[in-house]
Amino acid sequence: MDHIDQTGKHEDNDGRPPDRGGAVADENGCQPPDEALEHLRKAEHDLEKALEKEHEAEREIVQAEVEIKEAIREIEHAREFTIEILYDGVKKKFEVRIEETVKHLLDQAIGAFGPLPNPHTLALYKDGKELPDSQTIKAAGTKPHDVLLLRPSTVKGGA
Amino acid sequence: MLEETFRHFRECGRGREECQILWLSSWEKPEVIARIVHPKHAAHGGGFVLDDLWLNDFWMELGNTNIGIRFQVHTHPQQAFHSPTDDEFPIIHKPGFLSLVIPNFGLGPVGFKDAYLTEIQPNGGWQQVAISSRLVLT
Repeated sequence: MDHIDQTGKHEDNDGRPPDRGGAVADENGCQPPDEALEHLRKAEHDLEKALEKEHEAEREIVQAEVEIKEAIREIEHAREFTIEILYDGVKKKFEVRIEETVKHLLDQAIGAFGPLPNPHTLALYKDGKELPDSQTIKAAGTKPHDVLLLRPSTVKGGA
Repeated sequence: MLEETFRHFRECGRGREECQILWLSSWEKPEVIARIVHPKHAAHGGGFVLDDLWLNDFWMELGNTNIGIRFQVHTHPQQAFHSPTDDEFPIIHKPGFLSLVIPNFGLGPVGFKDAYLTEIQPNGGWQQVAISSRLVLT
């Protein structure tokens, strides 16, 4: 006896698709035309292929979700990563470790962009706020791929 | 560009307050001033200070457009020179950066008459340089 599974596909009790190639007759004993049978077989074949693709896509989604979780974990818990620092329109990459101080990174940046005289007037900024020199990279909330600004704390002039 | 700079000085400073303009160029063609910027700032008769939030946004904009600051230009009430405050708090600290000071709040004729140009040296000090040696108007 045939049944219909959730996909609407007809299967025999043994799980195999019904054999439409044999003698199939309606209640009046009329044989369906060969062309119709061929269409039916093709449609069933296409359905099976589509289901395979659906299952494959589901597996890929699960895999992608695992990879996303892993990437988030790496970002949140990375001990060593790359950030960018911007000075006077130029971006440079720096490798940082979470236990390093902001001052250490600031000194590196000043050296890389210059050397810049009067370094005591410069600071690193993140999200519009000056990062305290004594903080560690971790405490400063710096994350992989962050862009920090190297800029003067104050710009002023006066006669 | 020079006329626009003086226009800002006169409109913003109104002969009573100092004002600053920045001259920018792209990093592809750093020798050509391509744009001027009038920073958001607070000012009084004897000085000015740039707005901190504006400076953050401007810094990001420079990075996104590959543009750098070549000159800072600001006015003095009377004589043009570089004060200790000017020396200590420029917007850029690189050797070779130039600072131009315009006298009389920029109310005089458009040009460099009695203006003062100075440049950051490798040791961090400032050294006056001849305007004609660093600037050519085209």
